Order: sequence, then structure tokens, then C-alpha cells
Amino acid sequence: MKVRNASQLLNGEQSEILGIDYNHPSARRIIEVGFTPGEEIKVIGKSLFDDPIAFSIRGTVIAIRKSEASSIIIR
Amino acid sequence: MFTISLVGPPNSGKTTLFNKLSGQKIKTVNYPGATVDYFSADFDKKYEINAHLIDTPGIISLIPTSIDEIITIEGIYSHPEFGTPDLIITTIDASQLSRHLILVNDLIEANFNVVVIITMNDILARKNFSIDENKLSEELNLPVFKIDLTKDNGIDELIHFIKTEVENNFEKRVINKISEDTFTLVNKYNRISEIEKKVLFPTKTNSKNITKDFNNLHKPDEISLKIDSVLLNGTWGLLIFFLAMSVTFASVFWLASPIMDLIDSAFALSSESILGIWGNNWFTQLLANGLIAGFGSVAVFIPQILILFLILGILEDTGYLARGAMLVDKPLSKIGLNGRSFAPMVSGFACAVPAIMAARTIPNKRERLLTIFILPLLSCSARIPVYLLLIGFLVPTTGSLTAGIILASIYLLSIISSLVAAGIINKLKNKVITEQDHSSFILELPTYKIPRLNNVFFNAYLSTKSYITGAGPIIMIFSVILWALTFFPAGIDNSIYNENDSFEQELIENSYASNIGKFLEPAVSPLGVDWRVGVAIITSFAAREVFVSSMALMFQVNISDEDSIQKSLLKNMQKAKKSDGTKVFTTSSIIGLIVFFIIAMQCVSTLAITKKETGSWRIPILQFFIYTFSAYFLAVISVNLINFFGIA
Repeated sequence: MKVRNASQLLNGEQSEILGIDYNHPSARRIIEVGFTPGEEIKVIGKSLFDDPIAFSIRGTVIAIRKSEASSIIIR
Repeated sequence: MFTISLVGPPNSGKTTLFNKLSGQKIKTVNYPGATVDYFSADFDKKYEINAHLIDTPGIISLIPTSIDEIITIEGIYSHPEFGTPDLIITTIDASQLSRHLILVNDLIEANFNVVVIITMNDILARKNFSIDENKLSEELNLPVFKIDLTKDNGIDELIHFIKTEVENNFEKRVINKISEDTFTLVNKYNRISEIEKKVLFPTKTNSKNITKDFNNLHKPDEISLKIDSVLLNGTWGLLIFFLAMSVTFASVFWLASPIMDLIDSAFALSSESILGIWGNNWFTQLLANGLIAGFGSVAVFIPQILILFLILGILEDTGYLARGAMLVDKPLSKIGLNGRSFAPMVSGFACAVPAIMAARTIPNKRERLLTIFILPLLSCSARIPVYLLLIGFLVPTTGSLTAGIILASIYLLSIISSLVAAGIINKLKNKVITEQDHSSFILELPTYKIPRLNNVFFNAYLSTKSYITGAGPIIMIFSVILWALTFFPAGIDNSIYNENDSFEQELIENSYASNIGKFLEPAVSPLGVDWRVGVAIITSFAAREVFVSSMALMFQVNISDEDSIQKSLLKNMQKAKKSDGTKVFTTSSIIGLIVFFIIAMQCVSTLAITKKETGSWRIPILQFFIYTFSAYFLAVISVNLINFFGIA
């Protein structure tokens, strides 16, 4: 199976986080705000050119850049 | 004295709790290398607790990613004035338990003496869940209290706890730095998620599927999601966003200008009365034209700045400002800025001083410095009197549509110039801004809320105060220096006042300012104006609005006229001739001056605060030379282009 990341999700689409790319410079803050393996995420909205993307995570909404979303590996 | 710090994630009810516990005497806490930001207070007298209470800005963990987080976290570890806190009160949102427990976990790891306050229990109840605080206390091995901040339920128990701590706890703890390892962070989260499952229980007893209930718990606020489906929708979202921003600016302008006029006339009146009552001598002149005029030029912007910060505060408190930052992040990142540059940029239209301080929330160093670099290009309120005077010359009928369009174009031009400057400086890689850092945008979009007006008012008051204390003294000092330059040496001789009514003209013509102006005339003649405007421009480097009062001095406005100062100044400007007999003010020279004022870096306070915030003179010096010379050359080009096409 091909590896997918969160930046590829469409508006309204939902998935489960499998892992985070620790090499991404923002990895620590991405995890700190709640993106951890096993959590469900859903795309709430996308700005112009699909960047940044707003995700629902652990009962709140967090906007992150497309490049940061691409470090979140999903099912 | 016993010191208690309030520490918590953003939007966890920390400030509300601070306001509940603190007494009347709230003061801002200053940090080395930083200005305002957070508050300390004594406890409200009715609680009978003898301790310092410190509020700190919201943080996510004890590992900082931006300057304001570094300052905050260093302050939690060891405050320069109060030392290490004897007790930390941390607030966590019950409906955000797992995310907010990460900070609690860090505080435990660092070995602080911590008490946990659970807020927003009503939101959790709406999701049909409740929290067992005793269980949580057991899991964390910390005291835990549930508090309903709207009804004060549970506050007595907390007060009782604090009292016993203050009386009995003299233990000095050894505080550790915490691990920055990213791998262990995921394990921490997993442990916390386990705790969350143990302490939360569904309130609906007939529920069959606990897992499904937990999934519902982890769904964001329904109403906010509905609003966001419109406001975060690409094209519509942007359209509504630009509309909201335009309405903001228009309303700031229309609300503030009548109050500004009132303040202006009040100060002009008191200057006149002083001269009228005590006559003319060096002391009354200093009082009326130096001190009071200087004080007036600080005071006149207060309404504009206060109203803009009020509206900005309302936008922030409703949760919309975070959405705005998200919507503009992509275009701003193209020119080296960040979505988080957006709020400082809007503040820049009021005053660059608080705006530059607000840029601290940008985590990336390069983006922060670039934001600070371009902020002086956004037309601050000090330029408004200048624009109004110059537009008044071009369009004699006040309040007309044409005047409005010109003013709007000036603002548009100022936005464009700031974006172009950012783009160019960003393209120059490390020539202007040497710092490099990885760019990031991670921002929580909080639930939409009805703004808490007392919070909004308090923050607007603080920002306005930072303008008054930051820019005020410098404007005052320069107003007095400016007055001295236009007064001496002729003003010392008292006979000058008795000779004729137009002694003010004589004063100026024989002053140091006119010597400087005449010396610099070759520099201003390419702008199509003479030395008198040159003097006014020089004085505007203290603060831009000083230009208007200098113009009034240079072109001998007689206050005893029936017209307002502005009207009689405009009349005199129409008549003013250069030594060769041609008019000083033409369409081209006025537009040249407008262009100059949009771009030139003419504010001493801005340079001073930039030096303070960037840590060196490099950036303010670059700003000064780049902007002032570009302003000059662009103004000269505009004047010549307009003359070339023969517009009178």
C-alpha cells in the first residue's frame, strides 16, 4: 500500500494518523498540539491554494501548513 | 513573599481566573529585553491571602518555539523580580483534557509545586461527559479542583488550598530542565490519553457504546464548524475577510476623527489662552508652543489607536483573527512573511510601536524581523493629519467623495509598498536580514465566542498605554527641541513681541531652523518646494504629525482669524510663493509630499523600539536610510512625471 499523508486529504475527508515524520523541523510542535499516532483527523477547511489546512484533532481545530501536514502519515 | 504563577495553555480560562483572584492593584510585569506582556497583582483582599500572583501568556509546553515563549518560559523557571514560583496554578480545559495535560506533564517533570484547575466543565457536559477530579488527582499525584468560572463554583476550595500552602509550604524545590526528546513526547501523549480515558465518564447512563462516545468527545464545537464551513471556504472566505477588514478600517476612521478634532481644538485653545492671558515671552512660548503642543500631538492619536485596538481585540476574542491569519498565510509566505504577521500589520495602521512588539508571536526569526522591517510602511495614524492637510489642498471641499478616494488610494499604496518591500528584501536573501530559520505555521482556531468586553477593553488600554509610554516621551522631547530651533535666537529679545503682530513670522525667519532650512534648500527644491517646507519636513522626523504644526508656523497662520487653523493654513499655502515668484504648492509638489510621507522612515520612537526588539541598531539604521532615500527619489520622480505631463 502506498503511504499517504495528511496534506492529500480532501475537504471534509477523515483518516487516522499512523505516524509523524520526526525529521520534519516542526515535528515536535505538531505532536505537542495533539497530532499523535492513533488519533482521528478530519479536514475542516482549506485556505487559498489548499494551504494552510485546518484539521479537527482531539476536539479542537488546528491550522497547519501543507508542508507540515505532509509530515503526518495517515491510513 | 510567597509567589504564585498562573500557567496554562491558550484559551484555558487562565486570565479569567487571574481576574477573579486578583485585587485592584494589577501592574504590568517588565522583563529584561522585553516590555509589557503580563501582569502581577496581590490577591483580592476578601481572600486574606498574602502572596504575589503572576499571570503568564498562554503556552503549549515548556519547550519554546518563539521569542515570546522563550521569555514566558524563562520567567516561569526564574522570574527576575519574584524568583521561582512557590506554587504554580495551572488551568486546563476539561473538553481539551489530553492536549492540555501535556503542559501539566511538563510542569511535573520540571518538579514544580503544581495545583491543577479544571475549567470549561459546562462544555464537557454539553458533550455528555463529566470528569472525576479525585481520580485525576490520584493519577497525576497532584491536587485538582473543578471551577466554574462563570458562577464561581469551586473557588472557595481553591482559596482554602492556597491559604494552607502559603502558611505551611516553605520547601524549596530543585527545578529541572525538561527533556526535549521528540520520541518520548509520543509516549507521554499515550500515557495522558490513558489517563483521559480513566477520568472521563459519560453522563448518559444508557449509553451502549463507550468508544463511540469518546469519538464524539473528540469532535470540535458544532456551531464553530458550521461557521467555518463558510468562513474558511477558499474564495468566499477571502471575500468576507477583505470585506471585514475594509469595514474595520472605515469604522475606525469615522469613529475616531470627530474625537481627534475635539482633542486638537482643546489643545489649540489652551495654547491660545496661555498666550492671551500671560502675554508673549520665552516662558509662555515654551509652555504654549513647546510643551502643550507636544502633549497635544501625543494625545490626538489616542482615540484612533484605542478604537483600532478595541476592534482588533473583538476580532481576536471572537476567534476570527486566527482564521484571518490562516487565510492570508499563503500569500504572505510567498513574500517571506507569515500568517502571524497579519495582526501586527493591522496594528501598524494605528501605531508602529505596539505593532512591532506584537510581532513577538511570530516563531520564525527571519519572518519576525522582516515583519518588523516593513511595519513602518503601513500608514500609521500619525500620518493622517498630514494626509488630510495635503488632500485638503488638492480637493478644497472637505468630506467629498474625491477626497475619500484619494485617502483610500494612499492606504492602498501604503499596503502595496509594504508588500513590495517585503518581497524585495526577501529576494535579497541575507543581504538585509541575515537570520535564517525554518518557516512554520501552526495555529489553533479557537471555538467562536462572544467577546468578553472587559478583557478587550483592558488589552486595548494596555496597547494604547504602550504607545503613550513608548512614543510619547520622545515626541515630547523633540517637540521641545523643535520649538527651541524655531524660537532661538530671536525669541530671547523681548522687544520683538512689541513691534508688530506678525512677530511669529519674524521669529521663524531669524531662527536656527530657518538657517538649517535655507542650508538644505538645494535638497528640497527637486520636490518643487522651498526651504520652509524643508524645515517642516525636518521637524517631521521627530514624529510625522509635527509636520502640520510646523507648516502652520512656517506659513504664518494667524490664530486670531475666524477660520480654523487648517483653513487659514490652506489659504496661506495657496498664496505662498518661492523666491523666483512661482507657487510653492502645486498638484505635483503636493503629490510629491504625499509619496514622501507614505514611505519615509520619520519616527524616532519606531526606530528606538525596533532597536530594542531586534537587539541591535542594524535594522533601524537600514530602515531609516532605505525608506527615507527611496521616499525622496520616488517623490522627485512623481513630481517630475506630473510636471512632464503638464498637470498644473
